[in-house]
Amino acid sequence: MAKHIMSLTVNGDTREFAVDDRDTLLDVIRNQMALTGTKSGCNTGSCGICTINNAAGEAVLSCLTPALEWDGESVTTIEGLEADGQLDAIQQAFVEFGAVQCGFCTPGVIMSAKALLNKYPQPTEAQINEGMAGVLCRCTGHIKVKEAIRNDFRLRINKGAESGSGR
Amino acid sequence: MLLPEHTLLKPVSLDQCLIMLRDLTAGGGERLEKAQLIAGGTDVIFNMRLKFFQPEHLVSVRRVPELQRIEELDDGGLRIGAACRLVDLADDPRIQSRFPAFKQALDAVASAQVRNMGTLGGNVCLETRCWFTNNSEEWRQGRQGCFKTDCEHCHVIPSSTHCHAINNADTPPALMALDAMLTVQSARGSREVPIAEFYRPDGMDHMDLQPDELLTHITVPATRDRNLFMKYTPRKGMDFSLGAIAVRCGGQGERAENIRIVLGSISSAPIVLVEPARVIEADGLGDASIEQAIEQMRDELGEVTNLYGRATYKKQIAKTLVRRALVKIRERV
Repeated sequence: MAKHIMSLTVNGDTREFAVDDRDTLLDVIRNQMALTGTKSGCNTGSCGICTINNAAGEAVLSCLTPALEWDGESVTTIEGLEADGQLDAIQQAFVEFGAVQCGFCTPGVIMSAKALLNKYPQPTEAQINEGMAGVLCRCTGHIKVKEAIRNDFRLRINKGAESGSGR
Repeated sequence: MLLPEHTLLKPVSLDQCLIMLRDLTAGGGERLEKAQLIAGGTDVIFNMRLKFFQPEHLVSVRRVPELQRIEELDDGGLRIGAACRLVDLADDPRIQSRFPAFKQALDAVASAQVRNMGTLGGNVCLETRCWFTNNSEEWRQGRQGCFKTDCEHCHVIPSSTHCHAINNADTPPALMALDAMLTVQSARGSREVPIAEFYRPDGMDHMDLQPDELLTHITVPATRDRNLFMKYTPRKGMDFSLGAIAVRCGGQGERAENIRIVLGSISSAPIVLVEPARVIEADGLGDASIEQAIEQMRDELGEVTNLYGRATYKKQIAKTLVRRALVKIRERV
């Protein structure tokens, strides 16, 4: 099939790609940018493992998005969360609370949590449940994930105080 | 798992989109064969992965500005472009305050991810589903085909002569209770269809929509009536419902005027309950009257299938939803 040239900004890095009509955003991120942090799970939108953030910081499913539809747009993947070698507060919270078992779903879970916290910086219990309903962890459960999300706020405050950035 | 081969087209205006649809579907052929519309992609790409949709062309409406707007009508109603995202509608304070049933239905759709991508037009036109079709092509090949895969057979009701896949969408029952009007356009012209007449009880051909037509707007008229939406799912998030209900009701307390009760996820089309509504209008929303209304609904469910639960269980869910919704709506002022 004919290839088309498209441009995409992933984690601030703008590049041009030759893509097929059949390629999804997930295919471009993993196969062309070699950013394999974003995983391919069910490929049908049920598991949420391929979750990335769009330019507005909302969670979207890269497996259900034709790449050409996003020509010229900008996305953030799990690799784009850390800045200057420092983990993002939500990543730090996942480490601190051990919110990982096998780790396969973790990129999708963290990107969903990040989008949740972008919308609700101090989410209620109901908002956490609602915001995280779209991702499935098949090893363990979601209790530690929720603990990490609840404590992200505390870590952000501490981090802001340390660096003076007030992020 | 590559998608079936297709070409993605990106019209930038409504006129261009309608002409594209006309030209692509000019040679006739089955629905979806030549051109499939795509907005958020959460239903279309899903169905392409499972090889139900294998269109030659995907026509994207993401860049059609006419479909992205919400217009405020003089009387307080809203005319909503079909490509407005579910999340933007759910966050719209006008919908939250004026149409609680609509807001509750929007919030009930799948997950945050899906609502961030999916559109209202896509939810209204959601493809029907059943336990057989909800599997990969490889899985399905182990069994006889079905109406949706070019075979004269239904796995849900084996003796049936048509497809029984279910309309699982959340917003249609709410929009039906609110008397929404759909605007359907094609290069041939524009027509208005009350949403209650848009659906048909056939899983294969469940919408009154020609291959060259596009659902462009959903108009929700102003109402002062109480209204609500509820759905029953095994998990609170993600799942398609085993039953959903939307009710709109004038009057206050137990007094009910102009009541509309709509059940979703029971058949290939949402079901408007006629006799139960008549009972409630005559006798009010008292406990005894509600029980009598529930007795009256039995004949109106049609052929209830064993989809995602035994038919007897689903009938019970339908009854329970009607009871819960009517009790709840009488508490609303």
